[in-house]
Amino acid sequence: MSSRYLVGRLGQALLVLWAAFTASFVLLQLLPGDAILIKFEGGDLGLSPQQIAEIRLAYGADEPVLLQYVHTLAGFLQGHFGYSIQRGVPVTEAILANLPATAWLTALGFAVATLLAGTIAVVSSLTGLRWLRSLLRGLPPLFVSVPVFWLGIVLIQIFSFRLKLIPVIGAGEWEGLVLPVLTLAVPISAPLAQVLIRAIDEVRTQPFVTVARAKGASSRWVLFRHVLRNALGPTLTLAGVLFGELLAGAVVTETVFGLNGIGRMTEQAVNNQDAAVLQAVVVISAAGFVLINLAVDLLYPLIDPRLRKTVGATT
Amino acid sequence: MGPKQTARPAIRRAPHQLRGMTVTSSLSVSRRIVLAGLVVGIGLASAPGWAQSPTPKAGGTLVYLEQQAHTNLYPPAGGFYPNGGILNQITDKLTYQNPQTLAIEPWIAEAWAVNEDKTEYVFKIRKGVTFSDGTPLDAAAVAKNYDAFGRGNKELKLPVSEVINNYERSEVLDPYTVKFVFSKPSPGFLQGTSVIGSGLVSPATLDRKFEDLGDATKIVGSGPFVVSKQVLGKELLLTARKDYAWAPKSSANQGRPYLDQIRYLITAEDSVRIGALLAGQADVIRQIQAYDEKQVEAAKYVIYAPSTRGVNNSVVFRPDNPLVADLRVRKALLHATNAKEIVQTLFSPNYPQATSIIASTAAGYVNIADKLGFDLARANALLDEAGWTRTGNGLRQKDGKELVLTAYESLPQPQNKATLQLVAQQWAKVGVKLNVLAGDAGSRVADDLDPLKTPVSPAMVGRADPDVIKSQYHPANRDVLRQKGGQSSKVQGFVDARLNGLLEAVASEVDDQKRLAVAGDIQRYVVDQAYAIPIFEEPQAFAAAPYVKGLAFEAVGRPSFYNTWLDKK
Amino acid sequence: MTDVPFEQQAAPATPHRLDLRTSTSRLRRSFHPGLWISWGVIGIVAAFAVVPWLFTGHDPVDGSPLERRQAPSLVHWLGTDELGRDLFARIVYGAVNTLSGAVVAVAVGLVVGTLLGVVAGSSGRRIDDAVMRLVDVLLAVPALLLSLSIIILLGFGTVNAAIAVGVASVASFARLARAEVVRVRRSDYVEAAFGSGGRFFAVLWRHVLPNSLNAVLALAALQFGSAILQISTLGFLGYGAPPPTPEWGLLIAEGRNYISTAWWLTTFPGLFVVAAVLSANRISLSLRGRSA
Repeated sequence: MSSRYLVGRLGQALLVLWAAFTASFVLLQLLPGDAILIKFEGGDLGLSPQQIAEIRLAYGADEPVLLQYVHTLAGFLQGHFGYSIQRGVPVTEAILANLPATAWLTALGFAVATLLAGTIAVVSSLTGLRWLRSLLRGLPPLFVSVPVFWLGIVLIQIFSFRLKLIPVIGAGEWEGLVLPVLTLAVPISAPLAQVLIRAIDEVRTQPFVTVARAKGASSRWVLFRHVLRNALGPTLTLAGVLFGELLAGAVVTETVFGLNGIGRMTEQAVNNQDAAVLQAVVVISAAGFVLINLAVDLLYPLIDPRLRKTVGATT
Repeated sequence: MGPKQTARPAIRRAPHQLRGMTVTSSLSVSRRIVLAGLVVGIGLASAPGWAQSPTPKAGGTLVYLEQQAHTNLYPPAGGFYPNGGILNQITDKLTYQNPQTLAIEPWIAEAWAVNEDKTEYVFKIRKGVTFSDGTPLDAAAVAKNYDAFGRGNKELKLPVSEVINNYERSEVLDPYTVKFVFSKPSPGFLQGTSVIGSGLVSPATLDRKFEDLGDATKIVGSGPFVVSKQVLGKELLLTARKDYAWAPKSSANQGRPYLDQIRYLITAEDSVRIGALLAGQADVIRQIQAYDEKQVEAAKYVIYAPSTRGVNNSVVFRPDNPLVADLRVRKALLHATNAKEIVQTLFSPNYPQATSIIASTAAGYVNIADKLGFDLARANALLDEAGWTRTGNGLRQKDGKELVLTAYESLPQPQNKATLQLVAQQWAKVGVKLNVLAGDAGSRVADDLDPLKTPVSPAMVGRADPDVIKSQYHPANRDVLRQKGGQSSKVQGFVDARLNGLLEAVASEVDDQKRLAVAGDIQRYVVDQAYAIPIFEEPQAFAAAPYVKGLAFEAVGRPSFYNTWLDKK
Repeated sequence: MTDVPFEQQAAPATPHRLDLRTSTSRLRRSFHPGLWISWGVIGIVAAFAVVPWLFTGHDPVDGSPLERRQAPSLVHWLGTDELGRDLFARIVYGAVNTLSGAVVAVAVGLVVGTLLGVVAGSSGRRIDDAVMRLVDVLLAVPALLLSLSIIILLGFGTVNAAIAVGVASVASFARLARAEVVRVRRSDYVEAAFGSGGRFFAVLWRHVLPNSLNAVLALAALQFGSAILQISTLGFLGYGAPPPTPEWGLLIAEGRNYISTAWWLTTFPGLFVVAAVLSANRISLSLRGRSA
């Protein structure tokens, strides 16, 4: 691939990032009300319209929209994400405080999902028992048919409150992650399991497997190597989508388990129309998405030589 | 304005000053005792149960599950339950309102004096009290607090406290004496000094901008606990102040709090809070729903349901909307509402059916249950009389317009969505449709300001002083009826000068007896005008493990952990 | 947002396409009874939506407060809720909201997404790039955030929630449709059709669209299931239809508070949702198999 392609692709990525920023800015402007209205005009503080007007002035909330846009964009370019009206702290501070929890949750969630998917795929393929095979292969569709929040609540009821195995409140840092990670991993594991199962099925029918077996390789080893290679492509393509799913899953999981993370912060920010926080969340997750896709695009041809010709047109 | 007497008013002991109020509140006390039979261990601080308990043990960490994260800990924002629940542990107040008698007792103020027309208050400050940052709590600090609460601060965006009316200025008479001067009589001020919204904070805290006060670690008070760690939106760690020695006189404990630490954990899911409590993962939880009370009692855990002693959980009308401008329509809906059925279906004995617009435990309460009766025939007759006739689909019509009303559910109120749906079912029986809306916070606040969009709204507020009625109804405060010149610019013309006059009188009537009489007049007037349909007296419902002893609640149901200790090995 | 639509990866990964079809059609042969059951479930749900009164005599909205939170019995098959409303009646009458919600969500995604995809796939490089970057933007903004914002913008309600969920799925449809169009367009017979002087839109209409349809329909069936779940998640986060609308997702979400005191309130609607989503997924699988 040429450096010209690389620059072009990078340019497009930046364009997407800017467009996501602008689109979310416009969307937030269109919403009825804003953070100041929600925080100060709810009546609980008993402020007079004049006091509220003063607050709006102090926050610069009534500046012309275009000016606000320029200010916000300039701020973002310099790394200033602004101020969270609802939380009363700079956005950067709020994000830094919440990022580690979500990073751990999603990373572990993804790892467990992969493990779960691998187990389902491998066991269901290797087992000679037909019923076990059907049972295991029926699991992925089931996993995506259950609402995540419901799964979380049921897991808490069973494992924490009834069986008293794992506390959800006041648990140690790692202990407290067990159920949330499981809740997040279950739905994510489904598409991964499907990819793996398909990869296994494909590999088994291919002549080289027979050849390899004939050469004396153990069937497991052959499967393992070729399946992994075959599954890597589709998994990479899924990566962008899975990233989004992990974020959405984090919102729900963090809410159910009362975890402090980007997901719950986002949900609360939407509810309070905390524009600065939302703008930052959009830009960060869009950056993550764009980076992942860029990486996938650049990696794909290395993994799958057949794709070299069509790359760039597939995303 | 020039004070009439130049000499400093003689300082007198509080009970004399407040005789009028103590006498009247004893009325509500007798009623409270009746209720106490239904409610387990309400306000334990100095109740007989306290004496029977074994000697308190110091030490241990209490795990407290809170439903919502705090928003801002500027003390006047303490009306929001989660804020108040924290502020009550970390700040002290000038005076202490005894939750049993509602009498105002000395606390940080050892004594006080008030002039005849209640425009000047002088407080003598207790010596030796310090904020947790080491600065002394003296007259200058108190003056700085009240200047902020009473006048606000535009530069720092600090809003004015809703419990302080007519505030003009403070004067530091000597290092431990402070005088407050009011532009008009402010009889509610003394009680106002006892509420969570008047928690005293260090001068350094008041130098911060309003938005910085969302950070709990920046709130420096003189209270028995100090915020030692915060994970925003998730957890607060409160640590005992070992040198605390200035509790109100009536407190059994006069030294350091028994608990070493309190962990506040935000747990939004109802089922997780209750489950965690019963599974032994938490010690005290706030906001337990009425339908969970049975399983708490079955597990021999304890429910606390202290009254919020304020305006009852009600449905209010916005008469600016032509649909409910007619008194007969509002009256009809008042009589079409079956509060008893709502309480029996959705709540428990901890939620007494309303007998006035304010709670029976509130100061100035009068029983006007006779005006509130459920009467379908009367409701139908009133609607017929008002010209709303039934049509084929069962809905009432007038001039081609259907009687369809709208209300947003209020998220903080217990089971409000279910309550409004039941009200809708009841109103449907007289041919009136009530649409219950769910909405995002932005639309809710914006629509709630517009009487045309929300002719009906759920409402409640807690405070143990007749001023609370003014807080709720006056256009300059919460303005629940939405009057012209009030909170909303969308109001076309509705103003009730008579009501506002009464409300202002309650906030400025100097004579306690007259003041309570006015409070009674307002209750009758609001119901006669059918501005509000009171439904039940809202408690703050908590549940605690049986080994949690000495859990107390201040006058409007916020927890106090100062006397709390853990009776376990 | 609560799940990953199956086989979405099929969209760009053109080279895997052939193998995939052989494997899924094999799968299809071995699972036939499941497919029948799936169509049966969808049929029953559809019947709930069209003629609910045939299934229950109870009123879904007007309850009897005295009979609140009763466990399942002969009178109330699936018990009653906190206002004494019959849960089975609420599920039956709620089917129309749930189904129409899912249908609207899929329709929005299908129509807008497919249109974008077809335009991109059948146009020149420049338009293709522009459209697909637009789709990237849609994907880059977190779907849940997008849905929530759209609901706030449009107001709360079943249809609005459905639109919000639908918009979030536009990108998936667009990518799939584009990949399909590109694939079909490159095939010999379409090239031949162009070669023999066919006009662009005529060729598109007669050859490209029908050949891409099955894959798109399969994704639509999948989205149908996931839309039900996503609307339910919106209900959980407090963005559901206003009361007293019975809607399955909302029933699960609101019943969850009673999980330890009235387990039926969240369990039964949950089972109905699982059955419907599983069936939709199964049907999707069979559609994909047929596209071979």
